[in-house]
Amino acid sequence: MAEARTVEPSPSHEPWRARLRDLAVVAVVLVLAFVVDQTLDRVIPDSSVRQLLMLAACNVLVALSLNVINGMAGQFSIGHAGFVAIGAYASAITSSRLHERFGAGDPTFAHSFLVVPTSLLVSALCAGLAGLFVGLPSLRLKGDYLAIVTLGFAEIVRLTIGTAQISADETAGHAWSEVHGLGSFFHAISVSIAGLGGQNGYAGPHEKGVPAYAGPFWILGLTFILGVVAWRLKFSGWGRALRALREDEIAAAAVGVDPTRYKVTSFVISSVGAGIAGGLIAMMRDGNPTVQPESYNFQSSFDAITMVILGGSGSVTGAALGGVFVTFSVKLIELVQGTNAVQSLKRSAEWLDLNALRMIVYAAVLIALMVLRPEGLLGERELTLRTIRGWLRARQERRDRKAEDKP
Amino acid sequence: MELVLEHVCKSFGGLKAVTDVSFKVPHKAIYGLIGPNGAGKTTVFNLITGVYKHDTGRIVFNGHDLRPLRPAQIARAGVARTFQNIRLFSQLTVLENLLVACELQKKASLFSSILRLGAHHEDERSMKKRAEELLEVFSLRDVADEPSTSLPYGNQRRLEICRAMMLEPKLLLLDEPAAGMNYGEAEGLKDQIRWLRDTFALTVVLVEHNMQVVMGVCEEIHVLDHGETIAEGSPEKVQADPKVIAAYLGEEPEEEAAG
Repeated sequence: MAEARTVEPSPSHEPWRARLRDLAVVAVVLVLAFVVDQTLDRVIPDSSVRQLLMLAACNVLVALSLNVINGMAGQFSIGHAGFVAIGAYASAITSSRLHERFGAGDPTFAHSFLVVPTSLLVSALCAGLAGLFVGLPSLRLKGDYLAIVTLGFAEIVRLTIGTAQISADETAGHAWSEVHGLGSFFHAISVSIAGLGGQNGYAGPHEKGVPAYAGPFWILGLTFILGVVAWRLKFSGWGRALRALREDEIAAAAVGVDPTRYKVTSFVISSVGAGIAGGLIAMMRDGNPTVQPESYNFQSSFDAITMVILGGSGSVTGAALGGVFVTFSVKLIELVQGTNAVQSLKRSAEWLDLNALRMIVYAAVLIALMVLRPEGLLGERELTLRTIRGWLRARQERRDRKAEDKP
Repeated sequence: MELVLEHVCKSFGGLKAVTDVSFKVPHKAIYGLIGPNGAGKTTVFNLITGVYKHDTGRIVFNGHDLRPLRPAQIARAGVARTFQNIRLFSQLTVLENLLVACELQKKASLFSSILRLGAHHEDERSMKKRAEELLEVFSLRDVADEPSTSLPYGNQRRLEICRAMMLEPKLLLLDEPAAGMNYGEAEGLKDQIRWLRDTFALTVVLVEHNMQVVMGVCEEIHVLDHGETIAEGSPEKVQADPKVIAAYLGEEPEEEAAG
């Protein structure tokens, strides 16, 4: 078993060289992302596969952001979908408004440079504020109690948007003049929430669908860059302090790490990440052109937790792996359900609810993981070339020893 | 840099843990706080470091009243401590345990840490250097990259002292640093405490059951029993005090009969 080391090897070269290297890497990634952006339609003609790929990248972002709060800070949030939803709606509104300004034609790559950053900024801001709002109680609450607050928050977001309705009267603006003062303020809020489309979802101000500005360039590029940010957060003094806080709050405070400040900051950073992921999902090319409240139900919060726990709480690469794995496994199960054999089985036994079966399989896998490997696939370790080499070496040594034992 | 406690009281519900305790620790002193189990020694530490808040009285360090400060702020004011039941960050390595204690001396912002600007590397380098120097002094340098909880008990205690020292404190509170140490280790600890005081111009307060350490290193001793002060003064004076002897060994039967 590899040792639990998590100190990042310090760069032996000067900082300016490290910065040059950073810039070079970013440039290469952006060029690669651009190439993929322009050619993906031809390389993968099946739009559902493209969608799956993009969704996996977005889910990696969801997992990375949840990992900050659930993995590194050791708090248990089970309402991550709430922040993703806020990000998704914020970006959907911003991008479709901007899109109308541009004449509502086909989303062009050039325009995306204005639309995507602006929308994501709005998403990050909204989700970050919500994170601050939910994070403040986390000073007093721990474990299950915090989980309940976060779950409640996510459900409030989903249900508020999902159930808000507007009568024909109000759309025409008749009720406006009759309400005054504080009443009109709440009225305005409820009208604008109802404007999000309720249960049917939001599809832009004129129901034309949210413009799909976020192509592979944005999604893959941002996933990579934010992945690096997550990595560096973990291997910074801040990440170290956060992990120390998770281990022992009293001892952390005794060495000057203020639990309150660090917890709230981690919550805000986590929700900003979720907001960006939500924004990308909303504007995703080949994705769903409407943002629906039901996509952000408890199930999706739970999926996010699964990604983090599966990969290993606290591990950045683990969260990324978890994000990809969960996205693909959900799709894979759907595909299996579509095959002829399963379809005919379904016809022959109508009482068999395959969807429920999926949840059973899923749960069994999770339980098995908790029993066999409670720390997740990677634990808190990171998957790097160095650790892989270490594993291979250890395996080789084991084999050598065996060979010696049996001459 | 002196620490002053004035008529400090603390009760938990009906239990009076600390009653009217006053003492003064002069700058650069090594001060002992002793007493039988449950005397309230650790509670006094918890009051000084802000883990608990005293009900009445005053705790003043370096001219500042500590009551309104949160534990992290008290640490920032230069008060560092170790814990009776070792509290290391178990998932972190020995070195990382020390680096956490440098958080508040860092110059680099979170932003420059993400961009890995020069300030971040400078911070990491200077912090690591200081940590390694301390580890060297406490002969823990070789295990710097081991998980902290893999160390033997005595080394874990020494690591806690190292971690506290990373704060560059002016006042160091040691809660039973010699627990679990053998004779030789405890002798070494005495030297290390004196060395720390002289090198860093520290004020040290020591809670300890090991009399070899307490009597050997403390200049003044304060004895608590059931949360109350029963004696204070030089080691010789305290050792001869009948009340102290009674508190530790129980009163002799003849005296009981006579009293």
